[in-house]
Amino acid sequence: MDKVTTALRSLVQPLLAVIVGLAVGAIAIVIVGGSITETYAEMWRGAFGSFYFLTNTLTRATPIILIGLGVALAFRAGFFNMGSEGQMVLGALSAALTAIYMPGPGVVKMIAAIFAGVIAGGLWSAFAGWLDAKFRMNLLITTLLLNYIATYFAAYMVTYPFKDKTGSAAMSQTVMLGREAWLPKLFQGMTLHTGFLIAAVVTVLMFLFMKHTVKGYEIRMLGGNPLFASYGGIQRGKLMLASMFVSGGLAGLAGSIEVLGTQYRFIDGALTSPGYAWSGIMATLLAGSHPIGTAVAAILIAALQTGGMGMERNTDVPLEVSSIIQAVLILFVSAKLTYSFIKRKKAGAKNGRAL
Amino acid sequence: MDGLFDISLFASALRTVTPILLAALGGAICARVGLFNVGLEGMMLVGAFTAIVGNYLTGNIIVAVLFAMMCTLLYSLLFGYMSIHLKANVIIVGISLNFLALGLTTFSLRAIFDVKGAFYDKSMKGLPKWEIPVIKDIPYLGDILSGHSALVYLSILIVLGLQYFLFKTVTGFRLLAAGENPTAARSLGIKVSRIQYGAVLLCGVLCGLAGAQLSLGNVTMFTEGMTAGRGFIALVATMLGQSNPLGVAGASLLFGFMESLSIRLQGFALPTHFTMMVPYVVTIIAMFFFKDKSYMQEARKANESSR
Repeated sequence: MDKVTTALRSLVQPLLAVIVGLAVGAIAIVIVGGSITETYAEMWRGAFGSFYFLTNTLTRATPIILIGLGVALAFRAGFFNMGSEGQMVLGALSAALTAIYMPGPGVVKMIAAIFAGVIAGGLWSAFAGWLDAKFRMNLLITTLLLNYIATYFAAYMVTYPFKDKTGSAAMSQTVMLGREAWLPKLFQGMTLHTGFLIAAVVTVLMFLFMKHTVKGYEIRMLGGNPLFASYGGIQRGKLMLASMFVSGGLAGLAGSIEVLGTQYRFIDGALTSPGYAWSGIMATLLAGSHPIGTAVAAILIAALQTGGMGMERNTDVPLEVSSIIQAVLILFVSAKLTYSFIKRKKAGAKNGRAL
Repeated sequence: MDGLFDISLFASALRTVTPILLAALGGAICARVGLFNVGLEGMMLVGAFTAIVGNYLTGNIIVAVLFAMMCTLLYSLLFGYMSIHLKANVIIVGISLNFLALGLTTFSLRAIFDVKGAFYDKSMKGLPKWEIPVIKDIPYLGDILSGHSALVYLSILIVLGLQYFLFKTVTGFRLLAAGENPTAARSLGIKVSRIQYGAVLLCGVLCGLAGAQLSLGNVTMFTEGMTAGRGFIALVATMLGQSNPLGVAGASLLFGFMESLSIRLQGFALPTHFTMMVPYVVTIIAMFFFKDKSYMQEARKANESSR
């Protein structure tokens, strides 16, 4: 019974946030002179209206889910990994190059590419973790800086050494992968590919890992109370490296799947301009780092984005209404962090702590 | 290589540096009171957009800049309310304000001007270029230093003013104390949250000016997301400059110079990626040497209570 009430209570905040977000969106719609019901109906149709739009939304959600899970893991361990973008880009680049140059049958290429992507993203992220663990260089800032270095590096790689010279277009991109290395589509004629299944499996695995394994408990303990964790014999540095590797690895996986399943080549800017990394961070924040919640929030955010596109196609209301809704959602959710902060502060005062 | 480094390169560096410098100074003030402001990007964007709106509606450039400052002030008030009053995580508030700014400006672009992508109107005048009487006649130096918009010169004055304010006035010391050790400051009767609000609002004004220089300085137009990461570059300049106005100015100059150099290299069809990368690498190396700074610890604290 208690479990049910706590589960329900944890749903109240996100739901309230969604309602407030939609209300602010409604104000924006009225300002541009649209009809609220009609616009939201178009938005719904654009996101879930038909089987095609539904699969489209899920395709967009796939990288967001994986990035969100990675960020969530780091959050749970108490680290702010803002470097998903760079980790994703490096993962995608490595996956693309591996799939292009690896000999052998398609399945081998595919698996090798995914592994390369995970390792590249993971190492880049673990590097930031190492800088923090070894030299106490703030992780939040280094991950932010490493993003730029990674994206410029990847852009250089596909503008010069690995540029596609076969096509007439002067785009900065690699050559296309061989068709045998493509992730198969789930349905004929739809954009949804096997990557979504991978994301779903990873979500469940992450949930089980955090909840039922010793390592998962250690991570939660490190994030929940670092002092208690070190008292319990947990080595912060080691666990930090490991969790940052997995966190970045998931971002790398997101990049690889996007390359193998949707774009079939690495295109400069194709992963950064849709803002997958920031959307992933938003999903995590929205769900309070709960793995399954993060996946649901990722689908919600993807639906807001694809729904916004549908809305723009069929009404005069601009796409940006959905980014306003997203921002309000997050602002409202950060007020939830406030709520728990005040609770903690009160508890601290009761225990006679000065701070 | 002869054509690579010439006078116009330095002159363009000075122009590109101004928006970054102004925003970075705002970030530095916030960092000094213990608020790590990730929302510079969004504030700058609001400033850039409202400067164009003010210019379009009134046709008066001074009113336009003041309007931009006002609007960014209000926007920064939201940052202050969320992070100081509600004690929400500063970094998350900053991130979401960036999103909100991007959404709001693009939306308003559509709602006010009914255009998508960019707004440009021939009747709008940009910031006037000032020729400085004596300096403009000095060979070389004159070409670099003269002929910029008023905001470029204003930013230099602001750097000096802030340096004086922070390290030579009583209020400046109080501000530093509020950031250094809030508990001790409070016990001396310093109103810490009032000082924090003041710093955030000042940051808003500076970001408004930065945005105005961006949209009215070199070009007179607004494009969606025209800050293009400059707010984050400003944030990095703040860190590299150790939140010290003169240091921030130096760091911003490095960033501005590298950006101009990259644009120049493009003209020579040389790879620009590594020159663009240099400031970030330098910042990481600098972080290795300057650690235990109070604002870093503040960021760390915010970082660790982020679950």
